[in-house]
Amino acid sequence: MPKKHWLAVTGSHAMTTLWICLLSLCLAFPPGAFAAVGCDLNDPDRDVARLFPESTGYRTWYAGIDKQGGEPLLRRVESRLGDRFQGIFETIDVPYTIYDIYRDKTTVGYIHGVNQKGQYGGIQVFVALDLGGRITAFYIQKITSRHAKELRSAAFGKQFVGLSLKEFASYDPAAGRATGPVAAVKNPAPEAEIDFRAALRALKKNLILMDEFVFSRGGGSK
Amino acid sequence: MSGEACLVARELVRTYRRGSEEIRAVDGVSLAIRRGEFVAVTGPSGSGKTTLVNLLGCLENPSGGELELVGRPIFGGGRTLTERELTRIRRQLFGYIFQSFYLIPSLTVRENVQLPLVFYRKTGVADETEKLLALVGLEKRAEHLPGQISGGEMQRVAIARALVNAPEILLADEPTGNLDTRRAREIGAILQELNEARGLTILLVTHNPGMAALAHRVVEMRDGRIVP
Amino acid sequence: MITPFQVAAKNLLRKKARTALTLVGITLSAWVLVSLLGFNRGYETALNRNIEGMGFQIMVMAKGCPYEAATMMLQGGTGFRYMEESVVEQIRQDPDVDKITPILMQAFFDPNKGQSGGIAGYFGVDPASFPELRPFFRFRQGGWFKEPAALEAVMGYEVAELEQREVGDRILVPEKDVELKVVGVMERTGTQDDGIIFVPLRALQQIAGIDRITTVGVRTREGADLGALEGRLYKLPDVQVVSFSQVKDTIMKLIGTARVMVLSIAVIAIVIAMVGVVNTVLMSVLERLQEIGIIKTVGAMPGDVFRLVWTETVILCGVGGAAGIVLALAMARGTDVLVRLALPYAPTGSLVAIDLKLAAATFGVIVGVGLLSGLYPAWRAGRIRPLDSIRGEGR
Repeated sequence: MPKKHWLAVTGSHAMTTLWICLLSLCLAFPPGAFAAVGCDLNDPDRDVARLFPESTGYRTWYAGIDKQGGEPLLRRVESRLGDRFQGIFETIDVPYTIYDIYRDKTTVGYIHGVNQKGQYGGIQVFVALDLGGRITAFYIQKITSRHAKELRSAAFGKQFVGLSLKEFASYDPAAGRATGPVAAVKNPAPEAEIDFRAALRALKKNLILMDEFVFSRGGGSK
Repeated sequence: MSGEACLVARELVRTYRRGSEEIRAVDGVSLAIRRGEFVAVTGPSGSGKTTLVNLLGCLENPSGGELELVGRPIFGGGRTLTERELTRIRRQLFGYIFQSFYLIPSLTVRENVQLPLVFYRKTGVADETEKLLALVGLEKRAEHLPGQISGGEMQRVAIARALVNAPEILLADEPTGNLDTRRAREIGAILQELNEARGLTILLVTHNPGMAALAHRVVEMRDGRIVP
Repeated sequence: MITPFQVAAKNLLRKKARTALTLVGITLSAWVLVSLLGFNRGYETALNRNIEGMGFQIMVMAKGCPYEAATMMLQGGTGFRYMEESVVEQIRQDPDVDKITPILMQAFFDPNKGQSGGIAGYFGVDPASFPELRPFFRFRQGGWFKEPAALEAVMGYEVAELEQREVGDRILVPEKDVELKVVGVMERTGTQDDGIIFVPLRALQQIAGIDRITTVGVRTREGADLGALEGRLYKLPDVQVVSFSQVKDTIMKLIGTARVMVLSIAVIAIVIAMVGVVNTVLMSVLERLQEIGIIKTVGAMPGDVFRLVWTETVILCGVGGAAGIVLALAMARGTDVLVRLALPYAPTGSLVAIDLKLAAATFGVIVGVGLLSGLYPAWRAGRIRPLDSIRGEGR
């Protein structure tokens, strides 16, 4: 049996140690939370500055349908949405992250995102709203789609600027039918119909939740 | 009074060093007390009366002289007794009351009276707590705390406490010094009753001529000696 | 009639604020001690559990630099090294090997995750042998693969939740533009599996265009000599052998210093608390000189007084120690969170394991140390001579 060169032996031990360290890191950072997953900005400092150029700061807080009104609130949201909450992930305990946007000491608007089931993966739809509840920016943080580029393009997002919940009230997510200004929003690619409608549903849900959590409580936090 | 000697002291001496000076607080005192006698020790401040009573009451060792209690030699022959030995003698023979009442503030009147029994119960002594409380007129105050009763009542608790282990001799060091005239008189009456009704031997140190008058015999001290 | 214990207890109640503060000190130090001892035990138990959850004790992979693998994992790319599948058969023949499963790890870059994209981790696994090595497999929805080469996926709970996927939905493999049907969503396991997408081995090999594997998971026979087995496995060409017991030892060593440090903190906390006890009892003795003198005139021996004061110390330590242990039990969850914040590596599951034996041992330590600390004040009290304290009121 040929003897192993001492360097090879040492080397393989070193390699083993390195692999062990790597695996230790993997074992040691298991996925954390045991609660339903919410929708946060990946890099709030950068994203807030991009979505709200005139801002000087922001405050993050969390709302949940279970905490802010329970079952009755859920029913009201579903009825306003025109669609039920579905599946094992769209539940009453999902936390919603709301960013209060400041310029100096005054609130100038909000940013809010929701998770939505898309054709091939989760879609994260964020909107930036002014104090009157009108959309100033539209941002899809994440989407898995062959037409992701079109749906995440600036041209697509610009169609929503200036719209508010009022315009979306008549949008029917279940049937995918729209009237008024929403009907004018164009789908960039016909094969992306499923994800297009998912984005619209997410947007309407986003606006309804902002109305329930913020605007109908006098605009602002808590 | 039975006539037999209960306490016999011969040439008791107690000296202290203060700096380079030697002070003879008790300078050769001889005294005999019969069972059932009520003796008062008087004298000006610094006369050594308190030191004398401390020696007679086995609260400290003398520098010289002898002491016999109920026929047993205690001090003498140059022997110094340890704190433990002194404690054993004290709890057999003496009950003490002082000018400051020294009750334990967190215990009730009854518990204060019973305190000696927590540590030592003389053989053959029944638990007379309730009788003693009645004797000093405090049976209605038995559950009160010292903070809730008057000075006179506190001294009465101290008396009851001093008696709970049926001592041979009650040693009272200025028991009325902190009381007003009326209360002092009440205490005096109790002491008198204890002496006459129960035959308790009492050794009383006092400034108060009214208190001294209650005694069978008054011993006057000056400069560490008995004035003849 | 009143007992010496009651006398001691009532004495402590005289200065309520001071007693309370001293108790707080002891309670906190007892809480710290028992929580940290519980943590010492709990961490290792939790780590073992995490490793048990992996199902296999040894991983065999292609020899390669772990740095490349790390880069791959963090940024996506092709940093993987591959082994021939024939290695599986070679390993299977070893007498100390109980079960074995081949795995192909892949990662694909998805440019549409956030601003700069992210990677998706896929495991190609053998549908027949993989479940045998994962003892805690449970499904939230659906079930395992039926075909060895089907274009199907089983998703870990966390990645399914992130992608909002349920059974029947489709996922799109980035870069390759291949659709997979979700046939199962697993229950949360608390391990890395929660973030993995599992695909039948043959299917992933087809998608990635690779006919080899990256890893072989090995479960050893009961009582096998792990060291010898590793030695034999090393003889296979170009492989790296990693055993999880080594991983565990490394982690334990890494946190070893943390544990020593943390235990020292507990010891310091106790010392400080005991100093507080000695101070409290000593102060109360010095305040009660006359009272103690009187107690001696009513017949208490020096030993009686010593015991009385010592009992006060015992009461303080007993009550404080018990309160601290109860607090630790009630706040085990909270302590868990604090410890996780402090440590760099922490396995999942409850980290603080306090049982009766541990609680009793801690209680014993606290009371024992208290007894020692109480010796001096009690001795001082015993030595008081009645006359020294009662001397001269109004002399």
